[in-house]
Amino acid sequence: MTNVLKIFVFVICVLAFYAYVGQMVPQKITYPPTSTDFVGDMTPLELAAAGEEIMSGKGTCLTCHTIGSPGDGLRFPDLGGIGGRAGAQIAGMSAVDYLAESLYDPNAFVVEGFLPGMPAVSNPPINLSDNEILAVIAHLQSLGSQPTVTLDTELQWQSEEGSAPSAPTVAPGEPLDGPGVFTNYACSTCHAIDDATRLVGPSLYDAGSRLSKAEIYEAVMDPDATIAEGYPGAAMAAMLNASGFYQNVSTEELKSLVDYLASKTGQ
Amino acid sequence: MNLLVILAIIAAWIGLRFLKANSLAWAAGIWVGLYVGLSYGINPPLPSSILSMFMAIITLALVTYLTAGNDRMKEMADTIVTFVVDKRYTGALIGVLIALPLLVSFKVYLNMTQAPEPPISGRTIHPVPPNTITVNGSPFNIVEGHNPYRELESSDPDAFALHLENGRRVYYQNCVFCHGDNMEGDGQFAHGLDPIPANFQDATTIAMLQESYLYWRVAKGGPGLPSESTPWLSAMPAWENFLTEEEMWDVIMFLYDYTGQRPRVSEEVH
Amino acid sequence: MKTNSTYSPARLLRLQRSLSPGGGLNLRRVIPFGALFLILCLVGAYFVFPAGAIPVQEAQDAANPDYREFPVIGSRTIVWVVAQLHLMFAAFVLAVPMFALIIEIIGYVTKDERYDHLAYEFVKLLSVSFSFTAALGAMLTFLLLILYPSLMQYMVKIFSWTFLPYVALFFLEAIFLYSYYYGWGKFSPKVHIGLGVMLNIVGTAIMFIADAWLTFMNTPNGITETGELVSLWGAVNNFIWMPINIHRIIANVAFGGSIAAAYGAYKYLGAKTAEDKAHYDWMGYVGNFVAISAFLPLPFAGYYLGKEIYAYSQSLGITLMGGTFSWLFIVQAILIGNLFLAANYYLWVSMERIDGAERFRKYIKYLLGAITISFIVWATPHSLVASVEEARAMGGSHHPILGVLGVMSAKNTAVNVLILTTYISFLLYRRGNKEATVPWAKMGMNIQLGIFVLVTLFVIFLGIYGYFVEASVRIGLSVPQVLSVLFAMISITFIDVLLFKNAKKTGEIRWGEIGNRAQYALFFIAITFAWTMGLMGYVRAGMRQHWHVYGVIEDTSVDAFTPTIGYAAIVVSITVFIFFVFIATVFWLTGLTNKEPWKPKEERNKSVEAAG
Repeated sequence: MTNVLKIFVFVICVLAFYAYVGQMVPQKITYPPTSTDFVGDMTPLELAAAGEEIMSGKGTCLTCHTIGSPGDGLRFPDLGGIGGRAGAQIAGMSAVDYLAESLYDPNAFVVEGFLPGMPAVSNPPINLSDNEILAVIAHLQSLGSQPTVTLDTELQWQSEEGSAPSAPTVAPGEPLDGPGVFTNYACSTCHAIDDATRLVGPSLYDAGSRLSKAEIYEAVMDPDATIAEGYPGAAMAAMLNASGFYQNVSTEELKSLVDYLASKTGQ
Repeated sequence: MNLLVILAIIAAWIGLRFLKANSLAWAAGIWVGLYVGLSYGINPPLPSSILSMFMAIITLALVTYLTAGNDRMKEMADTIVTFVVDKRYTGALIGVLIALPLLVSFKVYLNMTQAPEPPISGRTIHPVPPNTITVNGSPFNIVEGHNPYRELESSDPDAFALHLENGRRVYYQNCVFCHGDNMEGDGQFAHGLDPIPANFQDATTIAMLQESYLYWRVAKGGPGLPSESTPWLSAMPAWENFLTEEEMWDVIMFLYDYTGQRPRVSEEVH
Repeated sequence: MKTNSTYSPARLLRLQRSLSPGGGLNLRRVIPFGALFLILCLVGAYFVFPAGAIPVQEAQDAANPDYREFPVIGSRTIVWVVAQLHLMFAAFVLAVPMFALIIEIIGYVTKDERYDHLAYEFVKLLSVSFSFTAALGAMLTFLLLILYPSLMQYMVKIFSWTFLPYVALFFLEAIFLYSYYYGWGKFSPKVHIGLGVMLNIVGTAIMFIADAWLTFMNTPNGITETGELVSLWGAVNNFIWMPINIHRIIANVAFGGSIAAAYGAYKYLGAKTAEDKAHYDWMGYVGNFVAISAFLPLPFAGYYLGKEIYAYSQSLGITLMGGTFSWLFIVQAILIGNLFLAANYYLWVSMERIDGAERFRKYIKYLLGAITISFIVWATPHSLVASVEEARAMGGSHHPILGVLGVMSAKNTAVNVLILTTYISFLLYRRGNKEATVPWAKMGMNIQLGIFVLVTLFVIFLGIYGYFVEASVRIGLSVPQVLSVLFAMISITFIDVLLFKNAKKTGEIRWGEIGNRAQYALFFIAITFAWTMGLMGYVRAGMRQHWHVYGVIEDTSVDAFTPTIGYAAIVVSITVFIFFVFIATVFWLTGLTNKEPWKPKEERNKSVEAAG
């Protein structure tokens, strides 16, 4: 019994020691980000101050980026003085547009010497609102230049909230089945579905045996991610955009489309 | 590295060797030696948090060493048992028994009486300057601008010397109180300031910067620092309110001349 | 819904990485409290959530997820603790059959009865542990359904098709486990080994399924941006599924080995006869050998896992390795440094009972020196905690000398040196009572020494070289470091086996004469493994921050914040304590098999008199 007691005491001591070690390092609680409230008439400077908060908080920008400590071996570009450089990064693109593109579509242009890896901050998990992104742009401008954007600044990447929804091509409320989606968005203009004929795009009659569902999903939602050999890129994304596919297709419809294509195994 | 301290420790260890000290004494000697070495042998000194972590690991390693072999374990245990049991050591034992709790209480007392300290925050020592600044109404481009008088150094040494002389006057009338007689950042007022004034003799200050950067710092001072280098309570005044542009350039040239540093030349723009 | 840090949902927390607990205490007196605790929890749950309040998931608006509160310690902490306990037991139950089977096969091949007995002794621990695992799993499931209904609704929606095979496999697991245990010695050895193989396959499959659930929460995949399922296989085979599987299999073996070693240590301390002492000394040694062998490759599995996290999302990776969590890895360095130190210590104390091993005693101080220096390097943080005065003296939060040690290059080098040193300790132990008799003995040893010195220098060279190259190159340097260390271990072992074939024995291993302190080292190793597992569970779940399913389902509960490392350390300590109380119960129950049959008191007295 004394052995058991000794072991018991030993276990308690070791556990207490480790609990103590845990107290010896800096203690920090990380709270979930809070959304920033914006009033309509903020000046660019006020907006920049709000943007600074967002960058260190909800935007988590400073997890990866540094501000004003350039050095060798950085894995992400230093943002010090970015406001002064932004206008000169891409010919013909204004500083505001450049910063906006970097935030909404970070991998469209990657600074030389760095690898792509930044997530679009408008999407989860970062999920900044359009106003919050404007504030971040204002703050970035203030690093090395003067902020100019206000909440009224319009960017081409902003979601079309508030503006009239574009007319849906089908009545809402009645999700289409897979073949219905295929017909409705005129996929058959470019893709054969019943045989192996090559049209503008590859035939899909054997899509299910060539591609997994995830790949089909990707091929629909981001056509240029992987382009079948021998076919032109960019065309499909442009067509689908033009037909309003991305705005209007519902999750269910998308799923049934993918299921439908996956069922086409060339039999 | 503080060589003197390290040599003293090595000497003490050699002494232990000659005294044929037993394992326990050796362990104590090594512990104390490493403690002293880590505390005083390294410059700048290690933060106390790191020092205690290192010593904890070393303690653990020494305990491991003392108990790893049966012989050494016995030798150590015997030493301790003798100390506790033998009548000869009763006095010393009582001393230890009293001293230990006292030491602990003293440590607690020290911990409790520490003066409150402000929280530490990192700050950017050399913040990125804005592209352009406006000094007394005239714009100056920091990226492309340069010292208009620097070229005199080669083209007209006499005029250059006059500028330096003027810079000397400006320095000793205005800057010396904080930055010091010798430009080491130890002027009369330096001790009241946080952050302390820059030490121009240090090779990591002005020698790493371009003259236009200094111009920005002199002209705009603490108030002109960008937000990313906050919290920055620099007491440096914005000298554009007191000096002419020429005086500011002169004093900058004087800083380099006096300390023997050269300004960093602007690199090619990428 | 929440996901957040730390605790993880769905048996998810079955965590991750590393390793193991250990020692068993036979806290007979405490057992009732363990049971009491369980009952209290259930009773508490009954009162807090009266039947009417637990309607099965009314359709909840997904935008308004719902939570229920657990009293006093909060929903997150209770789920955290139960998930961690479930995980530890599961790890043990999965690991023991793996090395028990290997030991059984060794016994079968060598015809050495000892191994067969030892394997059986390990397997005896399984049946009670299996029941505990299932009970904790059920408790975890109920807690999750009650406390996090909308998260569970989502998880069920995504993974509905995985639950049936999971349950079916559980039945199979029970069948194979009990037939393996009760059928010991009752089948032909080949059939029995076949049962063991099936048991391992089924157990591993169960873990793979559960891993899919929890890794999905970290790196969701196979879904649309709105969280709809596109491909179940995509969701299962997400970025870190395979890395976690591999990491866990290895870590489970290390953990299980250390618990088994602790069992040996516990029996050793209580053993009365020299024969028992010898047996349990040997059992502790084998358990520890298993634990440490599995432990050595674990850092490499960790690299792979980390790499995949970065591949999924750089910001997730940096959340994990940078910022506040970087301090967690300092704590981890201290734990792992302790493990290496304790493992070497055990080997050194063990060498005391080998006649002839005295000649290696003089090397201990050099090995210890290498371990201590590596330990210090590994535990040195990059940014230091310093007072204002100290920071001013250093000119910032980076010390000019220590700053050099705080970076990846130095730490990778330190960990590789630790691995090499531990390997050398083991090599010395192995040849303690042997003298090579082959004619090329001298040359062989010189080759071994040459490989060792070259590899050490190469590892250190790469470490220093890492300071002079870009980050992208530097990260790549860890691969040649690891490969050269693996090469050294494999080639030296190979030479060693040939070298000591038919070696002359200079003395005996006096099993059973090891110092008690070595047994405490085994407990220490087991506790440290368990604690490391708990800590890494915290960070694996914690890196999701305020998300239940990263980037898909946000945690909107009161527990959405990430707690401090200090709080986590306390929760982990308590969890590990409860685990050891449970495992002591397992040891005690297992020990009942050998207990004398009960007799009325008078009869017992009589037999004592008769014997007297």
